[in-house]
Amino acid sequence: MTDNLIQIVSILAAAIAVSFGAIGPALAEGRAVAAAMDAIARQPEAAGTLSRTLFVGLAMIETMAIYTLVIALLVLFANPFV
Amino acid sequence: MDNPLSLAPLFHLGPVPITAPVVVTWGLIAVLSLFALVSTRKLSLRPGKTQTVLELFVSTIDAQVRETMNREPAPFRPLVGTIFLFVLVANWSSLIPGVEPPTAHLETDAALALVVFAATIGFGIATRGIKGYLATFAEPSWVMIPLNIVEQITRTFSLIVRLFGNIMSGVFVVGIILSLAGLFVPIPLMALDLLTGAVQAYIFAVLATVFIGAAVGDAPRPERPKKEDTVP
Amino acid sequence: MNFDWWTLALQTINVVVLLWILARFLFRPVARIISERQDAAHAALDAAQAAQAEARAARDAARAEAETIQQQHAEQLAQARAEAEREKKRLLADTQTALEKTRAETRAELDQMRQAEAQDMARQAGALAIDMAGRLLARLPESARIGGFIEGLAEAVAALPETVRSSMGEAGPLSLRAARAPTEEETARIRARLSEVLGREVEIAVTPDTDLIAGLELDAPTAIVRNHFRADFERIREELAADE
Repeated sequence: MTDNLIQIVSILAAAIAVSFGAIGPALAEGRAVAAAMDAIARQPEAAGTLSRTLFVGLAMIETMAIYTLVIALLVLFANPFV
Repeated sequence: MDNPLSLAPLFHLGPVPITAPVVVTWGLIAVLSLFALVSTRKLSLRPGKTQTVLELFVSTIDAQVRETMNREPAPFRPLVGTIFLFVLVANWSSLIPGVEPPTAHLETDAALALVVFAATIGFGIATRGIKGYLATFAEPSWVMIPLNIVEQITRTFSLIVRLFGNIMSGVFVVGIILSLAGLFVPIPLMALDLLTGAVQAYIFAVLATVFIGAAVGDAPRPERPKKEDTVP
Repeated sequence: MNFDWWTLALQTINVVVLLWILARFLFRPVARIISERQDAAHAALDAAQAAQAEARAARDAARAEAETIQQQHAEQLAQARAEAEREKKRLLADTQTALEKTRAETRAELDQMRQAEAQDMARQAGALAIDMAGRLLARLPESARIGGFIEGLAEAVAALPETVRSSMGEAGPLSLRAARAPTEEETARIRARLSEVLGREVEIAVTPDTDLIAGLELDAPTAIVRNHFRADFERIREELAADE
């Protein structure tokens, strides 16, 4: 039962980490894309530079979500208490 | 499901356990070396297609380094270029069936980050001297010394985990999808993985440039020499 | 969570080896070829710039030459103009002097003509006066032509120097010209008067000469004594001419 409890808690923790960890980057990515669209609408000739920078920025923001995913995976697969 | 965080040695070379990422990396090294040898065999002032691509690649790295560091790119070009090429090829090696990208394992990313970390210190000392480099930790005041040291370590860890997480998650998701629906369904995700891999390679190289640039400092740009030294 | 340190070490070595290989065999040749091309481009650019500079210099030289030619042209033009001006002035001056001369000549000629006319007129007037005097004298008695002049003649003779007087009439009769042939009485009177003046007897030979109009003229070898209208008219005319 103790083993089971730890696994249950681990799964719960992973789910909570991923779900809450996704909120921030999602909002951030939304804002970034909106700002990029606005900028492209203003300056269509700078679309190439803007979209390149946007991709890099999105990847950086996405990394935050990836961190939580890593934590979740650590909790699931490399749990020191299991 | 396999544990994505664990590695099982394929075989032992004496006392040394050889794991899959090492083998794949050897293969990548062989491929890249062969490519380098073949593509640079016939360089001329009137470039062919391959040479044009190579020159575009090199001059793009130069421009990036110059823009970031305000310095001549010659000493940093091989490091930045190698990191970018290796990470890119490693990330895209997932296209080959049965091959798992080496960057999907912490050890490879840690090795890359270690190289960047060592290069940061090495270039910093080479440019400023040991005293000068250590003095940068006390900027803007001595209170910041612990914070600066912590920053050095955390940013290296963030470098490791960023690459690892992105690639590993891609591999992991594709694995999960593959276990659910085998045919055609993983293809969009694999395409996304390719994009992520390219972007992450670019980010890794840019961050390495930024770290080295911070270490060597924003020195006044010397007179631009006509001939660029190619030896680092 | 297991972290394979052996793998880390091997991967680090792998990355360093790859770094060396790529630096040696990829980046160095490519960078060298890029810099070579840049050098070639620089050389070509320099050559092009040199050619451009040369062309510019040639153009400048041509322009300078054109300017020189133009300047020379202008100088020549100015010179020719000045010469023409000088020539014109000279011609004008010549013409003016010629004109002046012609005018002076004309004026002189005119003056001469006028003078000649005046002389002519004076002569005519003299002739008219002589004519008129002759006609007027005709109204007087015949004796007046000679008689009135005898006394004047005698006085004129008396005024002559002694040597002249003494030589008069020595070599024959005194030749005397009268306005008309004198009568006996008149001849006697003249002789008497002259003898009286000279202080000795003299003979006289009278020849009539109407040119005298009225009066007498004594022709001696050493002296001529004129006492007649013709001589008077001549004198008056000369005086008038001198007055003009």
